[in-house]
Amino acid sequence: MKSYIVASSAIKIDRYYEKGYKELFGDAVEELYKYVDELDIDTLIISSMASELIDHQSNPAVILSDYMSIRDIRIYRVESGEASGAAAVQLADSLIKAGVSKKLLVVGIDKLSDLPVSHMAHAYMALKDADYIQIQGVSPLAESAILAKLYMREYDYSYEDLFIWPYTMHQNSPETPHAQLRFKISPDSYKESPILAEPLRLLDSYPFGDGVSILYMVSQEYLREYDSAVSVEGTGSSNDIADLASREDLLYFKTVRRSFEQALAMANIDKSHIRYMEIHDNYTPNAFLIIESLGLVERGEAPEKFENSMINSIHINLSGGLKARGHPWGATGIYQIHEIFSALTGSFKKSILGEIEYGLAQSMSGIGEVSYCTILKRVK
Amino acid sequence: MFEKSPAKIWRNRDVVYRLKYTYCRRCGKSFYPPRARCVYCGSQDIEYRYSSGRGVLKEYTIVYQVPKGFGEQSPLVIGLVELDEGFRVVSQIVDVELDKIRVGMRVEAVLRRMFVDGPTGLIQYGLKFTPLPQ
Repeated sequence: MKSYIVASSAIKIDRYYEKGYKELFGDAVEELYKYVDELDIDTLIISSMASELIDHQSNPAVILSDYMSIRDIRIYRVESGEASGAAAVQLADSLIKAGVSKKLLVVGIDKLSDLPVSHMAHAYMALKDADYIQIQGVSPLAESAILAKLYMREYDYSYEDLFIWPYTMHQNSPETPHAQLRFKISPDSYKESPILAEPLRLLDSYPFGDGVSILYMVSQEYLREYDSAVSVEGTGSSNDIADLASREDLLYFKTVRRSFEQALAMANIDKSHIRYMEIHDNYTPNAFLIIESLGLVERGEAPEKFENSMINSIHINLSGGLKARGHPWGATGIYQIHEIFSALTGSFKKSILGEIEYGLAQSMSGIGEVSYCTILKRVK
Repeated sequence: MFEKSPAKIWRNRDVVYRLKYTYCRRCGKSFYPPRARCVYCGSQDIEYRYSSGRGVLKEYTIVYQVPKGFGEQSPLVIGLVELDEGFRVVSQIVDVELDKIRVGMRVEAVLRRMFVDGPTGLIQYGLKFTPLPQ
């Protein structure tokens, strides 16, 4: 038994000062109606990383479903840090496989533009241990900056060598309808952007924006009702030591590798089958560490081997990634899967990808303390 | 919000003020902050110890996009410090000019004010690291 994605929607990630969580959710639902006649669902899963921290809103699944008069169904909220969306999809997959749910919506949502940057940096820091790490003012930004310096020293890269990542992401994003930053960048704009945590600058980081993306998923018995479908072929999930300091190997994300291997094993394929991936590049060094942890290249090779948004023959982050498409926290994992679904069904980056059979979304939180991989396959 | 609980500041005092860490009797490794089991081998055969507070700066960053509550201290120097007892911490580095910070320099823990919870709120203290005479 498998679960199937038959439709998806995504609003443009942006700063919506005139709209809140509810209105943006409503916009994404309306967008979904372009692809399906009715949403006869038995289950709603809401992924939000930070509705409490941003909007002082607990239980967002109940509040959002009430706004759209979605009632008397199974309802869940999933939170797993920056990877909440991926975790929500894996819950949805499990519910359908178990026969509990037949038709469901998975909604990823967060709104990062409502508060000043220092408040958002504070909310982002909440990903780290509240007893001992946060009191130092340490967030994944500082940890990623330290990783960048360790990486550059270990493999003898200059800061300019890292530019290939944000440059490529901003080459890809103008052709992504829902991307937040749809412009290209130059080496000068990279080197002159404000420093966030040296060596990392503004153009090494994801932007703060608001986003909602929705997947409509069904069990096999309803598949014939829809024109397009992809199956969830494999899922993997792994966790590791939560803080940077205690890890023995700082430049390798074990969770990324383990979640990838699990997903490949469940899908019963090897990595050569996958032609397109979206990965969780919250900061430039992490993109290279993910590529190396996935085993796509040897350690230390990613900046050299990444060319035309490809590693070997695998297209990576054609959306522009977290860097340029955007990263509305709890919504990001859903955006990634929306992109893979759209690519597999021929409505996203078809001129680059052509017809492909498999795609993969890799999502994680912080510096890889948890990672999820989800493999999708084109069905029709 | 983490900074508003006097109970929490009190119960975490040994870890936050005195660098109480965990030593694993089975695998011989140490780590911080303390956990109920060894993070490396999972053993429950562990003991808590107190660090000398001295070590080496292995890497650092200077953070300019600081979280709310840390604005007065901006920019924050965040260092990866390896203590002489063999475990590492991520901690603020203070009392040093930014251009004088060097990877490999000896550092020592000092008790400092971490932040103040508003004009009438609690003051959170904790350990930061400062260079030792090199």
